Amino acid sequence: MTPSILLVDDIPSNLRILYESLNGRDYRLLIANGGAQALEIARRSHPDLMLLDVMMPDLDGFDVCRQLKADPATATIGVIFLSARDAAADKVRGLALGGVDYVTKPFHPEEIAARVAIHCTILRMDRELASRNRQLELVRDRILSSMTEGVVGLDAGGQVEFANPAATALLGAAMLDLPLAAWQPPDLSETVGRVLGGQDQFTVAELDLAATGTAPLPVELRVAAINARPLPAPASPRPPADPAGQPHPGGGDDPADAPGAGGAVLVVRDLRERQRVAAALAETNNALRQSHRELKVAQMQLIQAAKLETVGQLAAGVAHEVKNPLAVIQLGMDFLEQTLTLDQTSATVFADMQQALLRADTVVRGLLDFSRERGLDLTPDSLNRLINVSLQLVRHELVQRNIKVITELASALPEQPFDADKMQQVLLNLFMNAMHAMERDGTLRIATGLHRLRDEELGPQARAAGFLGGDLALRLLIEDSGPGIAADHLDRLFDPYFSTKPMGEGTGLGLSVTRNIVNLHRGSIDIGNRDSGRGARVVLLFHADAAPLPPTRDGATSIAAAVAGEPAPATAQSVSSPPTEVPRGEETHPAGG
Amino acid sequence: MEKKRILLVDDEPALTRMLRLNLEQTGRFEVREENQSTRALATAREFRPDLIFLDVMMPGMDGDEIAEHLEQDPRLCQVKYVFLTAIVTKRETGRGTAEISGQTFLAKPVRREELLQVVDDLLGL
Repeated sequence: MTPSILLVDDIPSNLRILYESLNGRDYRLLIANGGAQALEIARRSHPDLMLLDVMMPDLDGFDVCRQLKADPATATIGVIFLSARDAAADKVRGLALGGVDYVTKPFHPEEIAARVAIHCTILRMDRELASRNRQLELVRDRILSSMTEGVVGLDAGGQVEFANPAATALLGAAMLDLPLAAWQPPDLSETVGRVLGGQDQFTVAELDLAATGTAPLPVELRVAAINARPLPAPASPRPPADPAGQPHPGGGDDPADAPGAGGAVLVVRDLRERQRVAAALAETNNALRQSHRELKVAQMQLIQAAKLETVGQLAAGVAHEVKNPLAVIQLGMDFLEQTLTLDQTSATVFADMQQALLRADTVVRGLLDFSRERGLDLTPDSLNRLINVSLQLVRHELVQRNIKVITELASALPEQPFDADKMQQVLLNLFMNAMHAMERDGTLRIATGLHRLRDEELGPQARAAGFLGGDLALRLLIEDSGPGIAADHLDRLFDPYFSTKPMGEGTGLGLSVTRNIVNLHRGSIDIGNRDSGRGARVVLLFHADAAPLPPTRDGATSIAAAVAGEPAPATAQSVSSPPTEVPRGEETHPAGG
Repeated sequence: MEKKRILLVDDEPALTRMLRLNLEQTGRFEVREENQSTRALATAREFRPDLIFLDVMMPGMDGDEIAEHLEQDPRLCQVKYVFLTAIVTKRETGRGTAEISGQTFLAKPVRREELLQVVDDLLGL
């Protein structure tokens, strides 16, 4: 576009000289012969440049310039003063009013033409720069508007210079109008203030804003000082100092150190999405861990089943092969006992042989029992009743050994499907073990209750049987005051044929049979030592959720009552009858005892 | 009074011998041993026992197979029989015998008193 230039002078000969100096050089030339006319033309035609005489009768050049600069429509017109007054004060005054140049008369036409050309170039570059600036601002605004992170620019005084829509949404428009010191929460203004105050060049923090109401709004805050120099990358070594004499970082002429520079840029990122993703990930992870655990349980059960299958076939074979010779010996001894007249010594020999035979038979029988624990005859039954019946069977031995029994049996237990015979076998075995451990004078504590399991209390057997923290379980505790179980025996308790009893006493199959029966009830048995005091502690768990509930509403509420009665998960015995002595009943001996 | 006749079928000669000695020692029974399961029916037809002891697991022919033939034979179907087995345990048979699907079982190792008791019960003595 051709630059337009307004020539202003009250003396026509001067105007002609100016006109002739510039004519023919690709300018559009306008002419005014006084200050008032110059203003009028300037407002109408918006020239790019004005050559303005200072000394004019109606309105002098300084006044014209002042009025031009005061009006935004004409403020951008470049003014070159022309004057015979060449005092430095006049030149300074003209430039201070906004003039771009000051030329003293008499001037040389070539000089005028050269100066006008320079100013036209400057004007053109100025315009290009402004237009480029507007484009950049547009791009910047688009970028900032499309960001999900909030971006806030702060000046050195802590006033907001700009904020993108995300920042307004996260921090609130009201807060952005306040000075930094008034921002909430206090740690937000403190964090930003540290950077503004120069203590930090750059800082990252996580805060909870709660700006959009009562819901917590976790955000990540990144604050950088505007004049922050890029930190040296830790991986790349610092380049050697440039010998050409580049300004040294931190040198006095660094623009960052110039007075007035400062301020900070604040980037706020909403962490809720990230937390949602993390939570979802944790959930998936949990589900994965759970199915992994279930898989492991299923695998264990398969291995156990395969083992039982093998042991079962072996047991049946061994039993058959051993029982025949045992039968021969038994009947032979019985026959000889009938037909011979035995002296004292021979009678003792016969009695010893008979004992040995019984033991051998017991071992083989145990083996058969072990191999057969595969099916259950389930009927709804009360665990407490089974305990009481089993206690009666060992009552005689308890009294003989002077062992005190404390029962704490929860009163509101629902009935569960149990194989009564096999559960009695389990209970008898556990009671006998406890009695044998205590030998004489001790306390046997038996407690039942519905119990909400905590993950950390689950023993290895409970985990293997698929119990998880949070499950509702029917729990039976059996504690004795014996010497407890040696650490190196704990892992082997359930191994078939592991026994701590002297050779000949006990088959070593008791606990493995017991565990099989409990597992068949979808229960678990863990054996360890008591946390406090001497003695062993046996924990049996059965899934209470699997219990067939009575169809009436009463049945459901009785479970709820039993669970609600627990004050803390640590003690399940609070819903229990007061400690009682062993129930007095008819004296019966345990089967095979 | 005529002695009751008892046939013992088991593949283990030592066992049938011990059973025979104990039974004969009472002086009340005439006893025959048969250790070849496949010859059990022929021996039974010839010996005409009042009671037969049958081992369950034997090479050649199992005890329950022999029992089936006994029940189908018009001359033998009245004969009482009892299974003698190592697979049933004493606990399952209770004291001495067990009735499993209508059959009487005696668990090895059996004691002399149990043996005589079962014989008396079955023969109605």
